[in-house]
Amino acid sequence: MIEAGQRLHRLLAVLTWLARVQRAPLDELAERFGMSPADLVTDLELAACCGLPPYTPDQLMEILVDEHEVTANLGPELARPRRLTAAEGFALAASARAILATPGADRQGALSKALAKLESALGADGRLRVDLGDAAHLAEVRRAADEGRQLQVRYYSVSSDQESERVVDPLSVLAIDGRWYLDAYCHHAGSMRRFRVDRMVSVAPTGQAVDHSRFDGPSGPSGGPATEAFLPSPDATVARLAVEPGGMWLVEAVPTLGTAPLPDGRTEVRLAVASPVWFDRLLLRLGAQAEVLAPPELVGAGRASARRLLERYGVTAPS
Amino acid sequence: MVDRLERLTNLVLVLLGDQRPKSLREIAEEVPGYPPEGETRRQAFERDKRTLRDGGIVVGTVSIDGPEQVGYRIRPEDFYLPDLELDPDEQAALNLAVAGVHLGDPSGRDALWRLGLPAPSAARPVAGLPALPALPVLWDALRSRAEVEFGYRGERRRVAPAMLRFRGGWWYLVGFDVDKQASRTFRVDRLDNLPEPGVAGSAMLPAEFDPMQAMADEPWRMGDGELVAVEIAAGAAVAALIEQGQPSAEVVERRPDGSVVLRIDVTNVAALRSWLLDYGEHVVVLGPPSVRAEMIAWLETMVAG
Repeated sequence: MIEAGQRLHRLLAVLTWLARVQRAPLDELAERFGMSPADLVTDLELAACCGLPPYTPDQLMEILVDEHEVTANLGPELARPRRLTAAEGFALAASARAILATPGADRQGALSKALAKLESALGADGRLRVDLGDAAHLAEVRRAADEGRQLQVRYYSVSSDQESERVVDPLSVLAIDGRWYLDAYCHHAGSMRRFRVDRMVSVAPTGQAVDHSRFDGPSGPSGGPATEAFLPSPDATVARLAVEPGGMWLVEAVPTLGTAPLPDGRTEVRLAVASPVWFDRLLLRLGAQAEVLAPPELVGAGRASARRLLERYGVTAPS
Repeated sequence: MVDRLERLTNLVLVLLGDQRPKSLREIAEEVPGYPPEGETRRQAFERDKRTLRDGGIVVGTVSIDGPEQVGYRIRPEDFYLPDLELDPDEQAALNLAVAGVHLGDPSGRDALWRLGLPAPSAARPVAGLPALPALPVLWDALRSRAEVEFGYRGERRRVAPAMLRFRGGWWYLVGFDVDKQASRTFRVDRLDNLPEPGVAGSAMLPAEFDPMQAMADEPWRMGDGELVAVEIAAGAAVAALIEQGQPSAEVVERRPDGSVVLRIDVTNVAALRSWLLDYGEHVVVLGPPSVRAEMIAWLETMVAG
């Protein structure tokens, strides 16, 4: 049971829409507003009893619900757009700005005109800017995903710390938290993979079309939060770190599995180890701000990678 | 027993209906479902007002003659937006934008509902941006030209906001710090508390203020530190990536083994160090000696720790 405020918000939205279209199939209307037809009928029948005093039929909202269709005659007032809350205005403007920030977006097109009207009505012209960044091969990768063309990619993988050639069937390209990713079927791995576009050293079409049946299998991208940048596999190693206050940027920067305060003022952070090399690099950035508590095989990881990097500086650290 | 949704719907229609402010007694007479006179009726009405306000509907109060002295109404300008006059293709474009961008809550969909635009179609996400409670507050302050006050790293700041900007994975507030009399950039996720907006129109930006100029492009240009030119050597495995990613860096030397020496201007050495360490053994700081020594000291502390 959703609370009355949410129900009112939804009902007013349905009424605004009905005031415009005047007639709509019941199922379509329910789907449009994310509710079951039964709940919709309940709310509409209730709305049909609402209006102005003395609540005689001529003062009630004119809504007719039959088995398959809703007809309404609500007048022009209810059809007017209503004021947005700050969160709604921000969300709408930020979404439009984000789409316009994708490379190759039509900056003179319909969206940009809609945004200009919206921002001007809200008094927010030029107050919001979204940069999604770029990557050397982003345009080619996006084009290949749009046109369904297979790619040969030279990719730097952090987990293996080397470049490799892969043939991939691109599905979609998305910007998450400031980085561009390609979701694609990787012929090298034999499953769906998420690639960082800025780690692609070179990209070339193979001349083959994408095989869309690849995307339907059990390893396909359906299900799961589509905008999570990193999905730990269920069998990934879980590390426990004791982190000083100065290293707590960690929880903003990487997905963690949980935190708990430690008696000595540090914080215990649990995270899934995506790959040993990734973990080493993270420890290097944390420096003396973090200590690995577990598992035992990772306890010396940070010290070892610091020592290896020191050798590149010609410094031999005492062991 | 009248369903609360019915009472709320009638309340909105009555308060919006004719623009004469109505006392609570009149409201209770016109809207079925309020308890008989007394404290419970007042509480029920206050609760309804709160529900409406949380849903973005402002019930205004006006002083009126009569024993109750306070009248209520919903002003059309508080309820309706001027018609945006969106063409069908502009409506469709807004729908696609909301469907394609994930902001962590349904506010975008709610906005489309309130505008009377069709609900978003299912579309592949194109982008995900982090949602933060401070963002709508700052956005509202920007719209109403209100100064904002908040804590930042334990220090109280008063800022005339100029722009909200998403870049490199973070939301930034760009503005003019009233006490420091200088332009400043703040990471919105690092504000100590929800910003408190002042009155509309209180934000004073210098006439020549340019928010794009006020914010540096790279994290290592965001500090207040002295400008240093740092030289790094990037190994063959990552040389191409680093060069592609740093078009503003100057190539000093290309070595036969495929590695590249680059020069990068830096005002925030800690931010540069963090970025370089993400490439592990593939990147080494060559100079200046102070920055190289700082990097070595960072690593030696780790080995000693």
